Amino acid sequence: MIREWQGFQPFTDEPIRLIGDGGEWLGPFELDLEPEKLKGFYLDMLAGRLIDDRLGRLQRQGKTSFVAPSAGHEAAQVGLAHAVRKGHDWVFPYYRDVSLLLALGMPVVEFAGQSLGTMADTARGRQMPYHPGSAELNVFTVASPIASHVPPAVGTALAMKLAGRSQVTVCSFGDGATSEGDWHAGVNLAGAQGAPIVFACQNNGYAISVDLKKQTGSDTIAVKAHAYGMPGYLVDGMDVLASFLVAREAIERAREGVGPSIVEFVVYRYGGHSSADDDSRYRARQEVELWRRRDPLDRYRRFLERRGLWDEDAEQRARAEIDAQLVEGIRQAQEAGTVPLEWMFEDVYAQMPERLVRQREELLG
Amino acid sequence: MTSTQAVRERQSGVKTMAQAIAATLDQEMARDDRVVVIGEDVGKRGGVFLATDKLFDKYGPDRVIDSPLSEAAIIGAALGMAVYGLRPVAEIQFADYVFPGFDQLVSQVAKIRYRSGGAFTAPLVVRMPAGGGVRGGHHHSQNPDTHFVHTAGLKVVYPSTPSDSAGLLRSAIRDEDPVIVMEPKRLYRSVKEAVPEGDHAVEIGKAAVRREGDDVVLVSYGGSMAETLKAADALTEQGIGAHVLDLRSLQPWDETAVLEAVARVGRVVLVSESPRSAGFMAEVSATISEEVMDSLLAPPLRVTGFDTPYPYVQDREYLPSPNRILKAVERALTY
Repeated sequence: MIREWQGFQPFTDEPIRLIGDGGEWLGPFELDLEPEKLKGFYLDMLAGRLIDDRLGRLQRQGKTSFVAPSAGHEAAQVGLAHAVRKGHDWVFPYYRDVSLLLALGMPVVEFAGQSLGTMADTARGRQMPYHPGSAELNVFTVASPIASHVPPAVGTALAMKLAGRSQVTVCSFGDGATSEGDWHAGVNLAGAQGAPIVFACQNNGYAISVDLKKQTGSDTIAVKAHAYGMPGYLVDGMDVLASFLVAREAIERAREGVGPSIVEFVVYRYGGHSSADDDSRYRARQEVELWRRRDPLDRYRRFLERRGLWDEDAEQRARAEIDAQLVEGIRQAQEAGTVPLEWMFEDVYAQMPERLVRQREELLG
Repeated sequence: MTSTQAVRERQSGVKTMAQAIAATLDQEMARDDRVVVIGEDVGKRGGVFLATDKLFDKYGPDRVIDSPLSEAAIIGAALGMAVYGLRPVAEIQFADYVFPGFDQLVSQVAKIRYRSGGAFTAPLVVRMPAGGGVRGGHHHSQNPDTHFVHTAGLKVVYPSTPSDSAGLLRSAIRDEDPVIVMEPKRLYRSVKEAVPEGDHAVEIGKAAVRREGDDVVLVSYGGSMAETLKAADALTEQGIGAHVLDLRSLQPWDETAVLEAVARVGRVVLVSESPRSAGFMAEVSATISEEVMDSLLAPPLRVTGFDTPYPYVQDREYLPSPNRILKAVERALTY
């Protein structure tokens, strides 16, 4: 069986799953990953889970305006982040990708600074919370209009082909994004051009309140790949090893010049769409509880424990350490100071036009 | 035209607007590997107006990209390429078809520098044939310039001559910001002139004086420059001196040139084929009123397209004609 392993199959009826409910390894091949790497997945998922709590508190205190929690999505995001060559490949995230961004190496102070709009925000306080980016990490700045980042993501992949630097673009979005014209425009172009890109869909079953059945007549998102001439992988996105290994295969496939693919991560968001949402209006509590039983952190913790890599003591220490880092990063972000008023007028153009100079004076007077 | 004549014109650099654009793209692609072209039919076909003629043979499919029929894909991909470090020149086949790509322009292209705090920028060009006079009905004739001017982060240029088409396109390609280049399609082949060779560039934001005069200022741009100049020539015959400004750029626009001329002359007629309501000339008119009210001898008057969809049968009547311009001038002079 191990010798015959040819890679994951696209278009499966059931999501690809490698960790069982009890943490048992289900894979048809031997897992070849170092213990530190295996523990690293867990630590990154924990950071994603805990930052939601910390920023949620700030939001309730009125210190930030918006939180889009990734709780329930951590395995998909962390698996994806570890499959990327950090700072070499490009990543086009969407607003729910906080676990992805932290796992890619975005400092807490930067993420929190963006949410708070302080001097710690590398984007100079220009966007609402959960919309960061990083030139250093090749992470394209998040935009709110759904799927509008898909055609630009394909553009970077086309440029990479020309540059010949063996790079790949990963474009991340939710299930609702697949209904947008821009999603089709981008995926279709990637298929036609054989662009080195992986489209990563975190399908949590809801676009705010509209469930997947009203979003599409397709049984899955992955199946749509067939029409674009690329493989579509259906993955248990609450299984970090399945998420990582399938994403890695798709990314390396793109890097080798074989072409693009779609990876659908089946996940569930525990919280509302955002801090402004009331999800009790459109889904039953029992449904949420049912999904929580498949929790990506709990399941993966059992996996680590079975291998003797984790225990309650390690858990307590890790939680305390990560939380301390979050608290410190958020403190630094809060204390970085407010951005100057005149920054409102900068970065509209490379050079400030005469008209804007006058408008700035009108305000600062 | 005999073939000898054609050869002589080519050698002396006499070009139509479409030829001047193709030649400029060729020169810029030869100069800078980062310049790539993307659009519908820009490859083997050389563009439906031949503005990308012969580029495919010279630079190949990776730098002259025949895109799927999708303006969102064209503009979005151009943005991604620009963010990565290339200098894409996107072609939208007709300005009327830009709207599926409008979200890309407004949400992504115009805002990426701002929303990333300058971490990512969009040095790209979107070229689009615009305007009427080709009997194309509303889906081949519109002039959606004001939409772009109204979107902070975009620059907008609108040449009216082959030389300016070349010079503004070159400046646009070398600019650090996204530039919309609107090309008056009814002038693509109707005007020929000697286009300067080499590094000929026209500064974005600078108007050109097309006629000198002391009695009335005529301000226009793009396709309507042809009718505006006809009106100016008719005025000359009547002994009335028109000072004619070709704006060439709409964002930023040359306020200094307009305000100085209007302050000196006191009467101004603003000509644009865009619909009147909240059109570009409304901005020019408001600026004149705010800045040089004391010098005005008559209210700034507009001659524009009408607030209807662009018609088919009345293709010419929709456009500001020399007669309509002359009537406005008369009103300004007799106010």
